[in-house]
Amino acid sequence: MRRLRVQLTVLLALLGMLVLAWGAAIFLGARDAARSSASIQSSVDRVDELRQAATGLSREFVAMETSRRAYLLTGDRASRDARARAEVRAVEGFKRVSALSERWRNLPPLVSDVAAEYRAWVRTGQTELKARRRGAAAAALVASRGNADKHFRQLWALQARLEDQLARSQYSYARNQDRTYATAQALAVRTALMMLAALVLLAVWLRRAVGAPADALRSASGRLAGGDLETPVTLDVDNELGAVASDLETMRRRLAGRMEALERLRHLSAQVVGATSLQRLTEVALAGLQPEVGATRAILGAARPGGDLVLRALAGFPDSGVADDIVKADAEIRHVLPVGSLRAGQVVGLADLDEVAATTALHELVGKMGVRSLALVPLLSRGRFLGLLALCWTERHQLDREQEALLGLAGNQIAGALEAALRLEEAERAAGEARAVFYAIADGVLLTDPFGRVTAMNRALEALTGWTETDARGRPYAEVLPIATDQVGGPADLVSRYGRRVPVAVSSAPIFDARGRVVGGVDVIRDVSREREIDEVKSALISTVSHELRTPLTLIHGFAELLVLRDMPVERQRSSAVEILDASRRLARLIDDLLSVSRMESGRLVLDPRPLDLASVVERILSPFRAMAAKHTLRTKLPGSLPVVWGDPDKVEQILTNLVGNAIKYSPGGGEVLVTVDQDGDTVQVSVRDQGIGMSPRDMGQLFEKFYRVDREEVRRTGGTGLGLYITKRLVEMHGGRLWAESWPGVGSVFRFTLPTTSDELAGSGR
Amino acid sequence: MKLLIADDEPAVRALVHVTLEGDDYEILEAADGVEALEVARGEAPRLVLLDIMMPRLDGLEVCRQLKADPDTSDIVVVMLTAQAQERDRDQGLAAGADDYFTKPFSPLALLNMVERVRHNQSGAD
Repeated sequence: MRRLRVQLTVLLALLGMLVLAWGAAIFLGARDAARSSASIQSSVDRVDELRQAATGLSREFVAMETSRRAYLLTGDRASRDARARAEVRAVEGFKRVSALSERWRNLPPLVSDVAAEYRAWVRTGQTELKARRRGAAAAALVASRGNADKHFRQLWALQARLEDQLARSQYSYARNQDRTYATAQALAVRTALMMLAALVLLAVWLRRAVGAPADALRSASGRLAGGDLETPVTLDVDNELGAVASDLETMRRRLAGRMEALERLRHLSAQVVGATSLQRLTEVALAGLQPEVGATRAILGAARPGGDLVLRALAGFPDSGVADDIVKADAEIRHVLPVGSLRAGQVVGLADLDEVAATTALHELVGKMGVRSLALVPLLSRGRFLGLLALCWTERHQLDREQEALLGLAGNQIAGALEAALRLEEAERAAGEARAVFYAIADGVLLTDPFGRVTAMNRALEALTGWTETDARGRPYAEVLPIATDQVGGPADLVSRYGRRVPVAVSSAPIFDARGRVVGGVDVIRDVSREREIDEVKSALISTVSHELRTPLTLIHGFAELLVLRDMPVERQRSSAVEILDASRRLARLIDDLLSVSRMESGRLVLDPRPLDLASVVERILSPFRAMAAKHTLRTKLPGSLPVVWGDPDKVEQILTNLVGNAIKYSPGGGEVLVTVDQDGDTVQVSVRDQGIGMSPRDMGQLFEKFYRVDREEVRRTGGTGLGLYITKRLVEMHGGRLWAESWPGVGSVFRFTLPTTSDELAGSGR
Repeated sequence: MKLLIADDEPAVRALVHVTLEGDDYEILEAADGVEALEVARGEAPRLVLLDIMMPRLDGLEVCRQLKADPDTSDIVVVMLTAQAQERDRDQGLAAGADDYFTKPFSPLALLNMVERVRHNQSGAD
């Protein structure tokens, strides 16, 4: 488009030509004027010359006439000579006039008239003169006739006419000169006017073709510079400026497009920043990018600390089951991912997945996902590869450069949000773990602010104090957790909201923030009632064991001392020795029990099981009891044929002895002790029933625990280690059986246990 | 002289029997605290040997009740216990016991103590 340039060139050329024409006009006009004035001048000069010649001629005519007349009058010779001389001069003058008048067309006829008249005049004059020489009278006659005079007068008139003609010529020459000047002037003025008009026309054209469009362009560029990208740049001019305007408009549209894209990107950025969950982040990112690039689905993968990508969220997929498929194809996906490019921050477009998904596993996956094209947008934050946003198209889609750049920028925004979201997730996870630990921990935990006000307490502490966390929050520490101590340095008891005292152990620590300032405190309150109970049980055990040990020791010591220091009848000595023997046995049994427990607990107690005839074992253990127990009746109820049981004879004996011993011990009023054996499937059930003091349900709960003794006066005052039932139960369980009890206070108790049977034959007759 | 041995352990009662045998003592026996109180009130013995750990009523309580009753407060009460801790002895003395024997005890020392009591009684009579 070089139109304006062409137009301008043409215009300037025109203008130049006008100027040239003007200059030429002036120059030519001046030259013509000068030339014509010079020619006029020479004409005038020649006319002058002619006039002078004519005047001279007239003078000669006058001289000739005068001398003729004088001669005529006088006949004087001199006059005649004067006249002849004048005539010669007149002829010369006449020649000159004729020559000079040659230049003018209208003069020669007049001159020849003059010449003719002159000749006529001279002739008549000659006649008169001849007459004179014959005499004066004839001369007078001729003269009187006046021919010569008449011709002279005619010649004179003619001469006057010539002079007049010349004068008129001179006048007309002068007038001609004036006219030439005026003509040149008029031409110059006209040319100047034409030039002025051309200039005006040029100015008008410039204004129209250049000025107005330039103003429009200036205001448009000013608008663009001022950031107004809305107003379109329109200039309906078909030249270079129009082209500039249309370029400006294109620029404006592109800039506006860019600005719009940037604005959308900023919007996306604002939205993704607000997304705190990875799922939400993915959805927002997809929603933001869909209008830009047309992708309808998105997959977010985040890099684990090790660097492996893990699927974290899907958006836009109609079937969320795809997630499982993606996870299953993890290894294959990782194999084809262009990790290098992604880590370098490059957006990778996969226009046709069918080409990439060569392996069947991926092929199936791509089919299930219903995705045709992918764009892999790396998410990098400060150079660190955080993950990958895969945008999916269901139709084939080829990324163009602009979209690639946009996705790269968007990737940066999303990466920032992803980093924040991952950090938040990590923090929430850590907080969740801490919260879970806090609330699940079995010990009471109390958190306070720096002013000692409760900020949180866990379930265990709620149970311990009777306060709920909601009620306790904001209250002073001491109100929620009043600690009562009976003596300084003694055990601390927590007083619950309802006045219950719980022995506790409290440990406290301040909570510091990152800068080492105390932001609160944590108290761990441990319910030590069980420990204290155990302590009490232990000291009770020690006292029991001590009592149990000391009693036989007392007997051994006492009887032995008596035997040594006193004279006694032989009978008494014997009975004393028996007492010593019994006490020794009792001591040995107690020590055995303690050792059994110790061995059981360390796993060193090993059974030596064999086929066993239970009936004979029952009979055997009952006989010593029968011998001793005066107040009790010991009965057995055994079926005719008992299956063979599988057990260690010594241990089964110990089990039965303990149970029957307890039955007798805890029925101080006497009564019946009944031992029953029944077959029950492939086990044998043995029960020992008494009619003793019985137990409350509360006592039953801890019946089989080590060192537990029913807390009743009658029981406490009865010697016992609290080990018997514990050992018994453990022994039964080691045989693969079960021991349990039923009891009614004041009525009696039944202890039952099972033992497995065996198809083996008895080895010999048992013991 | 009448004396009462209260212990739930028959062998311990037998030991006391044998120890004091042949010295003209009338020895009463009780197998628990309640029985001990009954016998002490009924027979008014000069001396009661009381085991602390006894069914139904422990020795400390028996001692306390004996000392609280003007009829029986003169009875010399000697505690017999398997518990050797200072605390137990203090408890016994706090309950009003006159002396204290820790199991295992020497029968001859017991005999000496009983004879001293008898001597004091005769001296006082």
